[in-house]
Amino acid sequence: MEILLIGVLLLAGLAFGTLGSHYFGVPRVVGYILIGMLFAPALLGGQLGMTDTEWTQPLVSVALGIIAYVIGGAISLGQLRRLGWSIVGATLGEVSGAFLAVFGAVLLLGLTVADLPLWSFALVLAAVAPATAPAAIVAVVHQYRARGKLTTTLLGMVAIDDALGILIFALVMAAVSSGSLGGALGMAFWEIGAALIAGGLGGFLIERLSRRFHEQSMLVPLLLGGILLIVGLAEWAEFSALLAAMVLGVSVRWFCGSHAERLLEPIEDLEEAVFVLFFTFAGMHFDPMGVVDFWPLMLAYFVARAVGLFLGGGSGARLAGAPREVWSNVGFGLFPQGGVAIGLALLLTHRPGFSQAGEIIVNLITATTLLTESVGAISVRYGLSRAGEIGLEQAGGKAK
Amino acid sequence: MKITDWLKRHPVSGVTVERDASLEEAAQALLEEPECRDIYVIDADRRVVGHLGFRHLAGVLLSAHRPTHSRRQMLNRVARGPVHEFMDQRFIAARLDESVHHVLHAHMERRIEDIPVLDEEGRLEGVIRLVDLVRAAIEPSDDSIG
Repeated sequence: MEILLIGVLLLAGLAFGTLGSHYFGVPRVVGYILIGMLFAPALLGGQLGMTDTEWTQPLVSVALGIIAYVIGGAISLGQLRRLGWSIVGATLGEVSGAFLAVFGAVLLLGLTVADLPLWSFALVLAAVAPATAPAAIVAVVHQYRARGKLTTTLLGMVAIDDALGILIFALVMAAVSSGSLGGALGMAFWEIGAALIAGGLGGFLIERLSRRFHEQSMLVPLLLGGILLIVGLAEWAEFSALLAAMVLGVSVRWFCGSHAERLLEPIEDLEEAVFVLFFTFAGMHFDPMGVVDFWPLMLAYFVARAVGLFLGGGSGARLAGAPREVWSNVGFGLFPQGGVAIGLALLLTHRPGFSQAGEIIVNLITATTLLTESVGAISVRYGLSRAGEIGLEQAGGKAK
Repeated sequence: MKITDWLKRHPVSGVTVERDASLEEAAQALLEEPECRDIYVIDADRRVVGHLGFRHLAGVLLSAHRPTHSRRQMLNRVARGPVHEFMDQRFIAARLDESVHHVLHAHMERRIEDIPVLDEEGRLEGVIRLVDLVRAAIEPSDDSIG
């Protein structure tokens, strides 16, 4: 029945998302989440024999591995150097701003769930906050034909900030999974160190093996097999699967050098399918009473994240020497949050000790995603408009 | 037929560009030879070190007009490097003393348009184009492939 439900979720989610976007102008994720809610165990899912969502756990792990691989493979050292200090500085500011602001806000609010200490809950929630939704930002840039320094900065930032977000998430999970400081250090060393070694070595092997296959179709099983192997190995040996998969992508890119596209593109094509699954799964977890009960937490998360992104991104860009039109507007372009944050939240629901907190966080991220995807698009447009970059991209690619 | 004889019958010199050239320069070089669909990247000694197809080149240059980008495509758009960062280093090449018949299979398997023919030093001697191969295959009197 699980396979039947996955098929239904993918097709119905895609149909609803596309129709909603076409006829009502709402983000596609709204349709995905609604379909998930419809097939929750309490509604139609129960009719199909699905009494819980435990069965989604292996899928979420693999799907996050796929996303982490794509995020890691996006970055090359040469590009990072060419992006320039102003983009890298703004990204560091944005990520740390969102993390610290949400961490502080949750601590101040003093609200946690029964099975988790407040500092752990605040850390985990803060670790999800830096993730952004590049697709939503690219859509606005394309729709309004934006071009200029702010556009370039935003695209550069959202292409690399999820990598930092995953790194922070992996570090936080290693830290909160152990009770004592000594234990946390030892566990963090293993979680991170083993992930770096496994991912690095895996990338080297995949690149070597890929030389034997010239047909693109032969590369898909090689790449998927590699990601599944690394995620499975990480779960078995208890190191960070997320970080290992991301390092796998970095390593493939590193060893492949130029033209790494053939080892990344087939997996990049799976990204939308993964996000449909994430959002529909998130919909299946959705509990309106949870949203009502925890509305102060959601409000605190939403506001603190926005403030952190705005102040962190803006000050990072300013300190790194970006021009005024960039640092004073960059914060407006970073609000959308989407698939990566949902995926991280879903991962928590299956983590021992986090089941109750995970449910709350999935609901929180789902609710705020709906808000950030809608308000975020308006905010991105406002920032680009303030910087005077709307409508500058011509068909021939030259600015006016 | 030996490749050296094929190139006498179908002389195509191919398009080359230096490894540190920009993608715009590579595109300009290709547009000056509209019959060629692939560009070969050469080092300071004029040895071929990589291959770049027109479609790949066009995809990067026109990326601003796509409604969706992967993160990798976003970085290619905002932090675009020189041509050697996009080339395929493990491209297929033929030698002058090979037969056309033998290189054809590898050619079709990799779904590329043209095969570069290199000398002993790795310098470009010419290019076997897919269009010329198809033309020879459908021409009853032409036995040059076999």
